[in-house]
Amino acid sequence: MTQTAQAARTAFQDDVVALLTRQHGDIRNLFDEVERATGQDRRTALRQLVRLLAVHETAEQEVVHPFARRLFEGADEVVRERLAEEEGAKETLARLDGMDPGSPEFLPTLRALRADVMHHARAEERYEFREIRRYAEPGALAPLAQAVRAAEAMAPTRPHPGVQGAPANLLTGPVAALMDRTRDAVRKAMGREG
Amino acid sequence: MTFNPLEHRGIPLDRQLRDWRELAVEPVDPDRGDPYTRCRIITMNGIEIEAMLFSHHFARHCPDLDVKRTLARVRYIEAQQQKAVNWLLPGASSVLETTISYEQVAVDLTAWIARMEPDPYLTQAYQFGVLEDFDHLYRYANLYEMIEHRKAEEIVDQLTEVMPGRPTPLHHRDPVDNVREPYDRRGANPLSKLHALTVMAAEQQTMNFYLNVGPTYMEPIARQLYQEIGMIEEEHVTHYESLIDPGETWWEQLVHHEYNECYLYHSFIEQESDARVRAIWELHLNMELEHLRLACDLMRRHDGRDPAEVLAPELPNVLTFEPNKQYLRELIATQLDLTTLGTGYVREAHERFERMQQALNSDGMPPSDQVLDAHREMFGREYRLQTEGEHPVPALREN
Repeated sequence: MTQTAQAARTAFQDDVVALLTRQHGDIRNLFDEVERATGQDRRTALRQLVRLLAVHETAEQEVVHPFARRLFEGADEVVRERLAEEEGAKETLARLDGMDPGSPEFLPTLRALRADVMHHARAEERYEFREIRRYAEPGALAPLAQAVRAAEAMAPTRPHPGVQGAPANLLTGPVAALMDRTRDAVRKAMGREG
Repeated sequence: MTFNPLEHRGIPLDRQLRDWRELAVEPVDPDRGDPYTRCRIITMNGIEIEAMLFSHHFARHCPDLDVKRTLARVRYIEAQQQKAVNWLLPGASSVLETTISYEQVAVDLTAWIARMEPDPYLTQAYQFGVLEDFDHLYRYANLYEMIEHRKAEEIVDQLTEVMPGRPTPLHHRDPVDNVREPYDRRGANPLSKLHALTVMAAEQQTMNFYLNVGPTYMEPIARQLYQEIGMIEEEHVTHYESLIDPGETWWEQLVHHEYNECYLYHSFIEQESDARVRAIWELHLNMELEHLRLACDLMRRHDGRDPAEVLAPELPNVLTFEPNKQYLRELIATQLDLTTLGTGYVREAHERFERMQQALNSDGMPPSDQVLDAHREMFGREYRLQTEGEHPVPALREN
């Protein structure tokens, strides 16, 4: 591997902004999967989507938004707008979670949520992440990535089929409980108590 | 269906102005729209921008105030058309997603034109260029998966393959070798003139897009890739613009521009799957018919010639966005090792080419190769979309 490729790789993998941006892509991939699947496959994909969304948003609320608030001027307003978007999406998500994936209102709700989530993700990337990259001290973003990874472990996008234990059990829990556990895991990774 | 734009009346110019409400078009869906609808939007944006820039340059060379005023009035409407067209693109798309659509345009537009072009020298120019855009698509697609964890097939669908073309580092030629011979305006098929104008306008817009959006990326590899491919777009604009006969008068060129806009809007009305977008193509065709009439009047008055002498008697077959997979595979199999020498093409790496390569690529890896290297490190593979089987060139197959 060349030095440049090594540098590119490091820049891509160890930075909280790069990680969350890629998670935005993972979320969109899961939306596609839910939309294209049918029957039991759609249920499975939907569970994964709901979990990843819950975990991703929790990690952002616990790690990224507070960091942004301390970092740059105007961050309070930016974060407030992002939280309002997240709140709206969370309601639709809860509705979707309780819905029969075969029912006629399922796909329209899913598509509406997809549009909202994508709008939210782009706004984050443009108005929050960009400022974080601009103002954060070099080296400050890598430890934050660790906390996000701790959250990510609660919702593997491709769970190993044979996996047993806590992560596997979580696949069937309610969204609120999952968010609580994610919050705990993130706080632990950041060295704070819940 | 035959259509002669000279025989149709459009909307009178003083009724073409739109207010802000009419310009506030609803964008297309970034994920679920027809990829070729996005391609048509990007193409028409490039065409309208060329119309505006050409008219500005014309005005700068024009001493007659009345003509300048006519140009300004038409150009203002064209600037509105450009806004209405380009604002169909959704704000939720990332710059890279739009870039991948730009490359899909470059591939399928140029390939189709190469297939339909009657003049063999011009055909060769399009065949040569398309293999480079094809490779750009592949490099950007790898960057896209690295940054956004999304696959380019979600953008191009299964309509355009994504795999190596002529390797991007080899596109850097001495500028002297980017200049082609022009067609002869007196003998050229009218269709050839439209083709050259269309591809030039599309590549010019691609160049402008990359040179503006490249620095909005924070990732060093993304910034560098846009720089490298942006320089190749400069070569492509040089390549395509030199195909046009510089002996055409300003008046004649103006007529060709307006006629081509009629041809393209007419073509896209025929194919458009999105009814809302089709309504815009229809409105714009009716505006262009009037712009063409005004341009023809100027030509008659100031050039003393009848525009019918230089135009086709009716519109040619509609320009079509459709898959060109087999055609591209044949070109890849037979023309990958071409480069240019003077106004022609050769297979050997001649001295001037080598000198340019040495100057640009000798100190470290070009960004277009770095991006593949970094992608392989991250995913253990490259990103490709090969719907029609293995790569036609054995050496370029992924192990």
